[in-house]
Amino acid sequence: MWAEVRRHLRGFSSPVLTGLDVDGYPFSIRCSPEPDEAQQVLRVHLPGWARIRLGPASLLCHGHNQLLWNLRSFMVRGTLEPAGSETWLFRPTRFVPGIGISGLAGMVRFAFAKRRTARRYLERRGLPRPTIDWAQLKALQARARHQSPPHPVR
Amino acid sequence: MKVPIPAEVEAVFREFRTCEFSTLASDGTPITWPMLPFFRGSTGQFMTTTSIGLPDKAFNIRRNPRVSLLFSDPTGSGLFDPPAVLVQGDAVAPDEVKTSIGGFENEVMLVYRRQPAGTMYTSNPAMRWFSDWYFMRLEITVTPRRILFWEHGDLSTAPTVVEAIHVG
Repeated sequence: MWAEVRRHLRGFSSPVLTGLDVDGYPFSIRCSPEPDEAQQVLRVHLPGWARIRLGPASLLCHGHNQLLWNLRSFMVRGTLEPAGSETWLFRPTRFVPGIGISGLAGMVRFAFAKRRTARRYLERRGLPRPTIDWAQLKALQARARHQSPPHPVR
Repeated sequence: MKVPIPAEVEAVFREFRTCEFSTLASDGTPITWPMLPFFRGSTGQFMTTTSIGLPDKAFNIRRNPRVSLLFSDPTGSGLFDPPAVLVQGDAVAPDEVKTSIGGFENEVMLVYRRQPAGTMYTSNPAMRWFSDWYFMRLEITVTPRRILFWEHGDLSTAPTVVEAIHVG
């Protein structure tokens, strides 16, 4: 798992670290993790004002292009513990692939798995699989195509 | 009601393509994934949705409503030097599967304008069979409790904090 985290982390410069604050709410901040190979942990700097407390945490890496495409993501579950001054240790416990990092085969696996999850969601509630109104969606897509972009793309 | 936050923060809410949305798993771990947020200025709330193929966010919210939304990636927003913003709040995710875009036309239209390649999921019968689960959605509504923002997106400095009583 550590090797997987290290390999995928290389493609992202500022992952999102999320822990819990003193009120029990998620608190997220961008960080620059530094791998500690010996301990197989990630060292992160958290400013003193950050409201994150030690305990469960996660690290999200994701990205997209200007047109919200080429989506890539993965998440790492773990724990966060102070290591002196403003340095904390993120200890990974589980790598969770998102989309766009496992190639076409991974995308197909992802879609089939989500189809199964959706089927179970409906079955447990005794609901039939609904039919999507594709014509309605296509009509909306056509309208969107004929509108100007939301703003100039930088 | 009008949310008394700086205009540049509201612009972030309206223009950022994604936010990093966190919910709490059953063991208390904050689980964060990118989401497409929609800000409703009339109520000061955020709306987003998730597929029933990815229902964990909704399950987490039904068990513990505490969530956060971090707006920290301006890619594609067209905004120059925007602040980074963290919204902490309470969410609801009713167990009602929505398959119609009725009531969401503006949001769906905005998604297709911002993500034109997204039409590939509906482009032919095979793709529609393959991805129909994606269009079976659960609505999530977030009521902010605290908003923190960092001018110029500089997360190394202390944020400005707006507490719930001031945000509607």
